[in-house]
Amino acid sequence: MKINWFKYAAPMNFYSLAGKMIPFFWIAAVVFTAIGLYIGFFKTPDAIDNGMKQYYRIIFVHVAASWMAMWLYGVMVFWALIGVIFNTRISYMLASATSITGTLMTIIALISGAIWGKTSWGTWWDWDPKLTTFLILLFVYIGYIALQSAIEDTRRSDKASALLALVGLAIVPVIYYAVNCPDPNQCASLHQESSLKRIEPNILTAMLVTTLGFWMYSFATILMRTKNIILQRERKTNWVANLPEVIAGGKK
Amino acid sequence: MSDFFHMGGYAAYIWSVMGVALFFMLLEPFLLVLKRRSILQEIKRNKRLEERRARDKGKT
Repeated sequence: MKINWFKYAAPMNFYSLAGKMIPFFWIAAVVFTAIGLYIGFFKTPDAIDNGMKQYYRIIFVHVAASWMAMWLYGVMVFWALIGVIFNTRISYMLASATSITGTLMTIIALISGAIWGKTSWGTWWDWDPKLTTFLILLFVYIGYIALQSAIEDTRRSDKASALLALVGLAIVPVIYYAVNCPDPNQCASLHQESSLKRIEPNILTAMLVTTLGFWMYSFATILMRTKNIILQRERKTNWVANLPEVIAGGKK
Repeated sequence: MSDFFHMGGYAAYIWSVMGVALFFMLLEPFLLVLKRRSILQEIKRNKRLEERRARDKGKT
């Protein structure tokens, strides 16, 4: 089957495609998150080898949200870059829709991280490299959103914020190396090293499945927001005027 | 069952994390639906205005 990708670069076609996909992403989001958390709460030991007690269950949400916060930044940059190269309006809309969900994930990661810190290290916050770089990621997201809403002309605001997203990409490898520090003695990091290989299989499965659920959630909300942006930007076109949701209930 | 919710004494921490995540992940789609409604309403209002304007023009 040959799919003409450029067909979906037209906002009208993308709008109807997204509308069809959203319910499936919602179902997948609920199913995967439920399975992930079920494994996480019922199929895992109450304490793990390195002395961590039940509170380690915070990681199912914390890790999923943190991964999403970083990956969504990559997704946002990807669409911004496609927008700059091909000058397709839909890519800019997707980038802008991704930024809000990314910010939300960063906030969930920071709050759950603070609660984790309180139980694990005895402090809500510390200027540890991982925590600090993550806070910077939040500011980069906020900067992107602020810049986009500060410029009235959509074409210019799309381009300017795309460039900011590209520059902000520099923070992502810094976060990665802050938690996967090659030599812990040199990093003085409070945050646990990311240790996917040494982890209990069921805990790892729970983490990965929950993360998959969060991915599906992100797709669903990003597409919903993209549809909103399309409606807003295309409100004066004929195809929007003839949409069933615009005609239905359009009483005099 | 109460053992489960007690979480070995870490209930407050674990359930507040779950609560925060649930709160934000329900809030976001809720706001998106509200936003969609308000955009659609505005589009409908503008459409009606335009139709009325076109009709008035036809009369004179």
